[in-house]
Amino acid sequence: MNCKGGTIAPMSSGRPVYSIGAVAEILSVPAATLRTWQERYGVVEPERSPAGHRLYSRDQLENLRFLADQVAGGLSPGDAHRLLGERLARGTAGPEDRDGDTPLILLAERDPHAADFAEYFLRTEGYEVVVAMDADAALVKAGELTPDLIKVDLLISGARGLELCRQLRARLRTPILAICTLELRDAALDAGASAFLQRPVEPLHLVSAVKDLLGRSAFIRRGVASS
Amino acid sequence: MIDRLTTGTSRLDVVLGGGLPLNAISLVIGLPGSGKTVLAEQCVFSNASRERPALYLSTVSEPLEKILRYGQTLSFFDPAAVGASVFYDDLGIVVGDKGLPGVLEHARDLIRGHRPSIIVIDSFKALRPYAPDAGEYRRFLHDLAGMLGVLPITSVWIGEYEDEEIAAAPEFAVADAIIAMGSNQAAERASRALRVLKLRGGGFLSGKHSYRISADGIVVFPRLADPGEAEPYTLGDCRTSSGVQAIDDMLGDGYWPGASTLVAGPTGIGKTLMGLHFVFEGARRGERGLIATLQENPTQLERIARGFGWSFAQDEVALMYRSPVDLYLDEWVYDLLDTVEETGVRRVLIDSLGDLRNASADLTRFREYTYSLLQRCSRRGVSIMMTYEVSELFGLTQLTEHGASHLPDNLVLLQYRPSQTSVNRTLTVLKTRAGYHDPGVREFAITADGITLAEPMA
Repeated sequence: MNCKGGTIAPMSSGRPVYSIGAVAEILSVPAATLRTWQERYGVVEPERSPAGHRLYSRDQLENLRFLADQVAGGLSPGDAHRLLGERLARGTAGPEDRDGDTPLILLAERDPHAADFAEYFLRTEGYEVVVAMDADAALVKAGELTPDLIKVDLLISGARGLELCRQLRARLRTPILAICTLELRDAALDAGASAFLQRPVEPLHLVSAVKDLLGRSAFIRRGVASS
Repeated sequence: MIDRLTTGTSRLDVVLGGGLPLNAISLVIGLPGSGKTVLAEQCVFSNASRERPALYLSTVSEPLEKILRYGQTLSFFDPAAVGASVFYDDLGIVVGDKGLPGVLEHARDLIRGHRPSIIVIDSFKALRPYAPDAGEYRRFLHDLAGMLGVLPITSVWIGEYEDEEIAAAPEFAVADAIIAMGSNQAAERASRALRVLKLRGGGFLSGKHSYRISADGIVVFPRLADPGEAEPYTLGDCRTSSGVQAIDDMLGDGYWPGASTLVAGPTGIGKTLMGLHFVFEGARRGERGLIATLQENPTQLERIARGFGWSFAQDEVALMYRSPVDLYLDEWVYDLLDTVEETGVRRVLIDSLGDLRNASADLTRFREYTYSLLQRCSRRGVSIMMTYEVSELFGLTQLTEHGASHLPDNLVLLQYRPSQTSVNRTLTVLKTRAGYHDPGVREFAITADGITLAEPMA
């Protein structure tokens, strides 16, 4: 017997165990809402007991937790389900294993369309996203939420983006990804931005830039922690 | 300078100064059947990849089913790409159910799902009636353009707009490029022609450019009105023989290389034969020749040549035969220039210039094309002889009215001269550029050896 410390065999994450009432309680989502999600989107389909009761597995519970988080974060249930569907299709089901620490990205945006797409593509990659539509709100949220990365549109609030970068840099070591239609690379870097991308940016480029910057910041954090 | 995206048809890219403006909105307008959908699909299939796919959105004009059914008859249409790198979708249902806000929402979802590099909306004009008023439509345009503008997406909007709508319809203000596809009507002949009406961020070739729709898609023939490359060039100073010693003597030792010669005269006088002398003399000296004929078909011409001891097969003389019926001048000129480029010919016979004149819709265009052709050949050192039939059998009142005499470097006139018992043939060199010529009138005969000049008349 090689069960260390006498632990019991881990419960299979795919086995149906939780009743809809239990899931509703765990997630603080009404059972009626869970039923509606299932009927309307059909992404999380619980098994049925012989008596016809819904039974959810741990994986499904985590998927529902993901949905509830996304909806609480402002996404429509339809978008949240689409997001989950894509993650499931890619084989990255459930919440990312980031030691319980999903990176938070603050988007300081001027254009609602740009904010919408950036939020969607970053959430699809498993990041938490908060949006600020003017420079002052961005400063406040950066202070309150201590995001892991801040993306700044340099034309925000009547082109106050460079100033915003300087203000953020004066207070935080957070990586700043500056984005602009105008070629302001040098100005952005001088203002404290960690990287600059010129619009329009391919979604994949945005995501890989974010990953690179977060990778670097994780390294810095580790370096700071170990020193 | 804004980057460009290939349209999938290289000569249209030339017209557009490199292609469609990248990450911008291009409007392709024209009447039904003018090839707008073909052009859009050509662009889609030549650019789409799995990483950067294309979205083709039909609306309420042409059903998606029909677009696909016709699309797959085109050579570039790859059925395997559909669903992998090219995604078709129908906006018709959405716009019917939810109006223009539904279109925006659906477009947003498709962009999120596919991350496309190209979006075609066909037909865009069909969306307009779904806006309750002009203000709503402008808001929709603004939102859509805004959404497309934040990502690297090149959009092609197609519509059956008429010319008078260009000033009024707001989508024309939003568009970065406008391509109008239509036709040129001259007498009972209609030929397709396209124009670039607007192109932000770069130059383009103005004017009307002919095009055809084939199984390979849109084929464009950019208007030729210039001499080609602007770089200075040098011509050889070694004269080229006409193939008839006596004519060379009259010209002061033959033609200059790269020169053009027009041989004018009435029917049956021997113009084609003079051309054959010119081309086969070149072949004898190791210069490849090309006969671009609209008169005799290859069999007829081979027989004529054989009668004088020449052979196309042996002498490396190529033939480019096109029927003068339904000939398109621009297409013909491009074919000829391509052949010259590819085969490295040094001497070209065009038989006849009159057939080209008849095939062109207007005289100005004919002059532009002839000028461009002669200039381009001259720059390559390719010598050209052209035949031109005049209607007068005896005597000649005017040559300039034919619109051809001022272009060539050399002008040779062949004429009949009636005598009491027979009709004689005469030859006169009317003009040679950059050289001396014998201005005399010489009689000549056609024998088994070809053109034979008599001694100068006293």
